[in-house]
Amino acid sequence: MAEANQLFKEFKIQSVSEFFRRNAAMLGYTGKIRSLTTVIHEAVTNSLDACEEAGILPYVRVEIEELGREHYKVIVEDNGPGIPEKYITHVFGKMLAGTKAHRNIQSRGQQGIGISGAVMFAQITSGKATRVITSTGDDRIIEAWVKIDVDRNEGKIVKKEKHPNPKGWRGTRIELEVKNVRYVRSKQGIYWYLKLTAIANPHAHIELIEPDGKLIVFPRSSEDIPEPPVEMKPHPRGVLTDDVYRMAKKTRRSSVKRFLVGEFSRISDKKIDELVEYIAALRLIKTEDDKNVQEQLYERLMKGEVKAVLRSFKGYTKVVKQVAKLMDKPPEKLSWHEAEEIVEAFRYMKFLAPPTHGLRPIGEENIEKGLTNILKPEFVTAVTRSPKVYSGGIPFQVEVGLAYGGEIPGGFELLRYANRVPLLFDAGSCVTTLAARSVDWRRYKVDDLDRAPLVLMINVISVHVPYTGTGKQSIANVEEIQNEIRLAIMDAARRLQTYLSGKHRRLHQAKRRRTFEKYVPEIAKALSVLTGEPEEEVKNYFLSYIEGHFAAKEAGGAEEVSENA
Amino acid sequence: MPKPKAVRREKPRERFSYDPTKVLTRLEEYGKRILEDIKIGKNPYFDIPMRGIGNVYFDEKRRVIRMGDKLSRRYFLNVAHARKFMQTLLIMAYVKRLVSENKHASLREAYYANKHTIPGTKENTFEDQRESDPIIEDLERMMGVLREEMHLTADRRGYIYGDIVIRDGEDEFNTSKLGMGGWAVPGTVEHLQFPEINVDYALVVETAAMADRLIEEKFPKKEKALIIATQGQASRGVRRLIHRLHYEEGLPIIVFTDGDPYGWYIYSTIKQGSINLAYLSDKLATPEAKFVGMTMDDIKRYGLENVTEKLKGIPPNKKGGPTADYKRILEEMEYPWFQNREWQRQLKMAVKMGVRIEQQALANKSLEFVAKRYLPEKINSGDLLP
Repeated sequence: MAEANQLFKEFKIQSVSEFFRRNAAMLGYTGKIRSLTTVIHEAVTNSLDACEEAGILPYVRVEIEELGREHYKVIVEDNGPGIPEKYITHVFGKMLAGTKAHRNIQSRGQQGIGISGAVMFAQITSGKATRVITSTGDDRIIEAWVKIDVDRNEGKIVKKEKHPNPKGWRGTRIELEVKNVRYVRSKQGIYWYLKLTAIANPHAHIELIEPDGKLIVFPRSSEDIPEPPVEMKPHPRGVLTDDVYRMAKKTRRSSVKRFLVGEFSRISDKKIDELVEYIAALRLIKTEDDKNVQEQLYERLMKGEVKAVLRSFKGYTKVVKQVAKLMDKPPEKLSWHEAEEIVEAFRYMKFLAPPTHGLRPIGEENIEKGLTNILKPEFVTAVTRSPKVYSGGIPFQVEVGLAYGGEIPGGFELLRYANRVPLLFDAGSCVTTLAARSVDWRRYKVDDLDRAPLVLMINVISVHVPYTGTGKQSIANVEEIQNEIRLAIMDAARRLQTYLSGKHRRLHQAKRRRTFEKYVPEIAKALSVLTGEPEEEVKNYFLSYIEGHFAAKEAGGAEEVSENA
Repeated sequence: MPKPKAVRREKPRERFSYDPTKVLTRLEEYGKRILEDIKIGKNPYFDIPMRGIGNVYFDEKRRVIRMGDKLSRRYFLNVAHARKFMQTLLIMAYVKRLVSENKHASLREAYYANKHTIPGTKENTFEDQRESDPIIEDLERMMGVLREEMHLTADRRGYIYGDIVIRDGEDEFNTSKLGMGGWAVPGTVEHLQFPEINVDYALVVETAAMADRLIEEKFPKKEKALIIATQGQASRGVRRLIHRLHYEEGLPIIVFTDGDPYGWYIYSTIKQGSINLAYLSDKLATPEAKFVGMTMDDIKRYGLENVTEKLKGIPPNKKGGPTADYKRILEEMEYPWFQNREWQRQLKMAVKMGVRIEQQALANKSLEFVAKRYLPEKINSGDLLP
């Protein structure tokens, strides 16, 4: 039998970088097309976020250069705030580091793996360091080649140069060399990704230079920089035991009570008293042997009859006092079991819905601008619903945009977004697809959805978007979310319907008008024979009569002008 | 001494009047009104008496089918009317030119003369003569003038033979001196004049074959009759001629058709007018016309039982009936002008016997029978149906 020491000789601590190097799929590096899109996505997202936080209207330029077979150089340049020299290694080298990690905040990216993941991907496919050129607008431009030390999960600058910055350039340009990827102009490729990004970010000017040198510009259509999202305290219904436990370890509050009141939303001193009663009641219910009685008590607790439940036990006041003491403990002394009790009690308690001020929708006006600017439709509308809550405590918000006709080709197109980020993969299982398909489009004068020149965009916003799986490309079918999406679509579709009916009416009117006008020359000729009046004059009488009639009709809207028949 | 005849010429009751300026004036009036309407921003229209059974009634006093006063308004600014509005004006302008230039055109000519592609469209002003003919009828009803007065004529059908002199423009002729075929009745008879009439009555004959038979047997000469062959349903020209001969010249009208529902209907049209041309009944119908045959009584009386033919269709007492001939007979029994004992008896008999009898069946007796016995016997004794 091998000794434990023998066995553990091969045991190594795996760094975070190492883990993701082996599990690149979790970061979106699967497939030749998608991997390239992911690299661009991470870089562009960083640029947009940086610009927004700095209050700068983003200008992002993406350039793809083909270096060989399945071998490209990707260049992404922005006019963002730039990166101070000492943070370069952190931004590009360290996984799970960043300005947003572990904060309850709506964000495009997640735990700060993004761009370092891209650097890592470049490194493991081409072996090349990522070239970073940046300046904060001072007198120097930094040029650095960054690699990741996988074992130590650290960024490493392999070469660095400093250049003067006479023109005061500010921004960041990164160049990554990647292999085993393919540039395709498909619905999952970069062109499409940037187009969708431009629609959802009308304040950004985005350019793409394709490998064949073709320049594509998605110009800016809005001058409003979105306000950066604000941090929101977690809602009691949305937290897990682990969250409470870890937050308690880190807090600087003096007691559990102060910690709960101070670091969660919707918890007041009064709620703490209630919480104590619920925890006490739960403890007592667990002492009951009879399973049926236990079930009944749980049910009553759910109904809010906490005081009655307590009173059904002898000496319950002692238990309540014990639990009350727990609230005075220093939070770092909170045990896992106690955290578990608190979270369990949260499940039975009623809270106000979580605050939603942290959610940052694109906004109806900007969605309309984005769709109009990029798709050039003849009709556009957008609906931003007010925030709602799913799973009891996670706020989310839905917005949809609808564009019809114009330069939009036939065939229904669904553009999916989560927190403004385009979702390109796994459309089939996504709640947005299900909701869009569940709407009876014929009710809104869209007779054949699959042939209609219709683009529907859906953006689901939340601090915690319930993705299906690690790919983060598909939103889970949560009932509350599907309902909101449906309502938003129907609202927008009603406006489309109004437009289409009006359009049909106008087409109909124009057709009617032509019917009358085409007979005028014949009528004029005949009336001229009958009355001796000059043909041209008779013609003008009739034409101006028709003109007047339809002008009145237009002014009167749908109201029928009397026609006597 | 010869017996006095039961039918003879009477005094004229009506004088022919035809005034082309009336048509022109009316056309101008309509044109001016349309123009006034459009100038003041009013949707111009024509009021056209409605056609069809819903707008006809039987005038008990005059005993003719008359047109009611229901109007349909044809607007310019109405998608459903615009095309017809345009067509109406085109025909009106055309009529103005015809009448003022004193030219006549057939219905078909009128169709072709006005048919052309509307500039800037793929549409024709008229696609079919079936579009122009009703417009002309509309104009007749709207303006109260005959198509013939508008110089629009139909194909000629029917002919006459007998000792009368007709003045047709510069020509004058006796219709019994034109050979066995007689004189073909034109579409328009308005301009005809009758300087000399040496007949006692007019015999209107349904089939040309029977008319030819009578001429060959010298019936018109012997009986002092004018033969008018309708050749099936009487054309407007023939009906108008019958009307004029009756009212302007006092000729009694006697109708001779097959003994079947179609023959009786021909009689009914000559006498009371038709639903379709109800607005012209005053000019086309001759309510005083009488019917000589064939009748159901003739079958027994002249022993024609074995030359009858079966009525078509299912009789009313059989399952699925009545259809075809039976159905028409029953319809005719409902006509107000057949509401008298004699006609009801005839029609009932026809249904009961289930037979019809043709004029030519009389040839079964002999070729001369109809001219020498049948007609003189019945007419001279006044054995006629009302």
